[in-house]
Amino acid sequence: MVSAVSLRVKILGMVLGLVLLLGTGVTLQVRATLTRTLLAQLQEESVSLGRDLAARATDPLLINDLYNIHQLLRETRANNPDVRYAFVLDRDGRVVAHTFGGGFPAGLVNANAVAADAHHHTLAIATEEGVVWDTAVPIFEGKAGTARVGLSEARMHGAIASVTRQLLLTTAIVSLIGIATAIFLTWLLTRPVRQLVAATEAVRRGDFSPRVGRWADDELGELADAFNTMTTDLARADAERLEREQMRAFYLRQIISAQEEERKRIARELHDETGQALASVMVGLRNVEESPSVEELHTRLVDLRGVASATLENVRRLALELRPSVLDDLGLAAALRRYAADYTARFRIPVETQIIGLDDCRLAPEVETALYRIIQEALTNIAKYANATQVSVLLERRDGQLMAIVEDNGCGFDVEQVLRAGAREDRLGLYGMRERAELIGGTLTIESQMGCGTTVYVRMSESANQRVSESANERMSESASERIGEWANGRMASERSPCLLVYLSTCLLVYLFPNPP
Amino acid sequence: MKPAAPGLICFLLLCGCALLIAACTAYAAPAAGPTVRLHDLRPLPPTPPAKVVPLRVAVAAVISPRGNVESYTPLLDYLGRELNRPVEMVQRRTYMEVNDLLRDGEVDVAFVCTSAYIAGRRDFGMQLLAAPQVAGATVYYSNLIVPADSPARSMADLRGKVFAFTDPMSLSGRVYPTSLVHTLGAEPETFFSRIFFTYSHDNAVRAVADGLADGAGVDSLVYDFAVARDPSLTSKVKVIHRSPPFGIPPVVVGPDIRPQLRAQLYDLLIGLQDDPAGPAILATLGFDRFVPINDAAYETAQQVTSDTVIR
Repeated sequence: MVSAVSLRVKILGMVLGLVLLLGTGVTLQVRATLTRTLLAQLQEESVSLGRDLAARATDPLLINDLYNIHQLLRETRANNPDVRYAFVLDRDGRVVAHTFGGGFPAGLVNANAVAADAHHHTLAIATEEGVVWDTAVPIFEGKAGTARVGLSEARMHGAIASVTRQLLLTTAIVSLIGIATAIFLTWLLTRPVRQLVAATEAVRRGDFSPRVGRWADDELGELADAFNTMTTDLARADAERLEREQMRAFYLRQIISAQEEERKRIARELHDETGQALASVMVGLRNVEESPSVEELHTRLVDLRGVASATLENVRRLALELRPSVLDDLGLAAALRRYAADYTARFRIPVETQIIGLDDCRLAPEVETALYRIIQEALTNIAKYANATQVSVLLERRDGQLMAIVEDNGCGFDVEQVLRAGAREDRLGLYGMRERAELIGGTLTIESQMGCGTTVYVRMSESANQRVSESANERMSESASERIGEWANGRMASERSPCLLVYLSTCLLVYLFPNPP
Repeated sequence: MKPAAPGLICFLLLCGCALLIAACTAYAAPAAGPTVRLHDLRPLPPTPPAKVVPLRVAVAAVISPRGNVESYTPLLDYLGRELNRPVEMVQRRTYMEVNDLLRDGEVDVAFVCTSAYIAGRRDFGMQLLAAPQVAGATVYYSNLIVPADSPARSMADLRGKVFAFTDPMSLSGRVYPTSLVHTLGAEPETFFSRIFFTYSHDNAVRAVADGLADGAGVDSLVYDFAVARDPSLTSKVKVIHRSPPFGIPPVVVGPDIRPQLRAQLYDLLIGLQDDPAGPAILATLGFDRFVPINDAAYETAQQVTSDTVIR
């Protein structure tokens, strides 16, 4: 498993392996070349010494000057360290003089021979001291005898061993340098990596503060930059997430309290208005009971009916405010018109409602509810705080965009201050409107100036609207498939091609390019 | 290192092993070839006594040993063939050594220089066997030679120069040139700036030709033979003086030779020219033929030798 090996071991292994491989290769190559060259040199030297000895021994041998020959052999050996032995044979193959003291090795005379008319004859003789290259040279074309000289390989092997030792030593030293370099390199390379690992650990623990230093302008430097950018982004995202969570917790509390508020309001409404009305009906019924005459009874019943009718109207209004069924039944446009009419009737503020592009289609139920509630909240706020005399509501659907604008000519307010105050006083209002808008993928903007009225904008794109509703997506893809199928069939029919291949290709093309040219 | 890196460890081990193998691999000696134990020294076998006693012929170093072998081998082969016994050629550096061999009976017959014969006859009774005839005569001369570009025209012009003698005993190579110096009232050691011995006449010619010596006295037979073999020599050396004729270097025998052998040898030498192989053998030697000769032929040589006292 490669992953089980640390970076240090890998680099160390690479460096050591390369050095050892190179050392081995060079050593082998140098040994082979050196052996070849030195061996050739030794053989050449053997021949040249033999020839020299034969030439110089001719005259002394012819005049039987043994001392001179002996001297010649001794000099030959003394002046050439490679020479292991030298000797001279007479015409009859008897040893005349030699460099061995007190005896002559058995079998050496017959180990090598040369023809009288040959230049020389060299062969390798195996001895207990190693290989000796023996050269035989005829003296005076064999008429005087034969000169023999033997050159030992010992010095050659010594030289090769010395060179090999040097090379091995060099390899060892270079290996040590390589190890040191590898350790240094590893430290240099892993320093940023270690930092990155430490920083990543910190990030995993949720600490986004560590920043990684950029050591060099290389890939690791880029990684450090990318890491730093990532931690910065993570920190920001984390902060946003925290803020959003707090907001949601706050909204949850607000929703719960709003629910309680709503219940209190309904209870108050029921008690104050419906209860009062029913109490009036009770009083009316007693009055009817105690009516002195039929006429009086009839009059009182008519009054009682008026009271019951008013009570009924109150209850209906209450129900409408809680959940307008018209929204479910007739859609957003109709629900808004109804609410605007009720609003005008209730608060005596004229509302100009303009709805474009929504009359004959329905939006996703969540979108309709959200937009309805946002506009309802805006109108309620206007009635409560704005002192407006004119309100206009615009709902427009155009080019895949939905836009709702609620505008008044009231007193206006400081948006930022109200938003902050709202958050502090645990009150649902503008926040709720904005939250609803964001839930359906839209944005809510409030423009207001003191004394110059207020405008609330809600914008959302149709695609966001689509994302909200899965069923809508399904319908879209189904319709697309039907469209492709129709188109493919059309082509089949028009070209009247019975070929299956063309059909399949066409199908493929159609699926690849769903919009036909 | 963690144990979970077997591949890496194996690789490193492999590298190390390869390195060790590279270091330890000895050069493979060639398998073929004989085996000899150099420390197993044994005494050399004594020279076995010859089953047949060879005829031993000494050749004086008139020319170099190598030249002698080339010139005399055909003649010696002829003698061996005719006598039906092996012939051994014996050479020595100096004429004196050859004379000693003859005196001691170490050789049977010898080709010697004129002065060596004169000395041998005087010292131990060396006897004439025959003499070669060259260009119809049995005489030779001492040629005084100098380099071809030398201005010297006589021995007098060689004063203060380097002179090459051949053999200390040579008539043409030492005795006669010394007599010339004596007539100039000087001794060679002082007359010449330097003198040296070449121990053979062809080496003396070569010494002058190569400019090693400014002059030398050489055997006219050797000189003519050398010029005939290598005509380019005439462009390197020239003869500026020629001695009166001396008796030619003879073939001699020792005093103790068996008369039968002496007669056989005499017959073979004199009859050589009539043998089918004779002309070729004589041509190799540069001789016309072998002729009988007597002591009278060596009177002039005797005269010069006794007049010239070499110190």
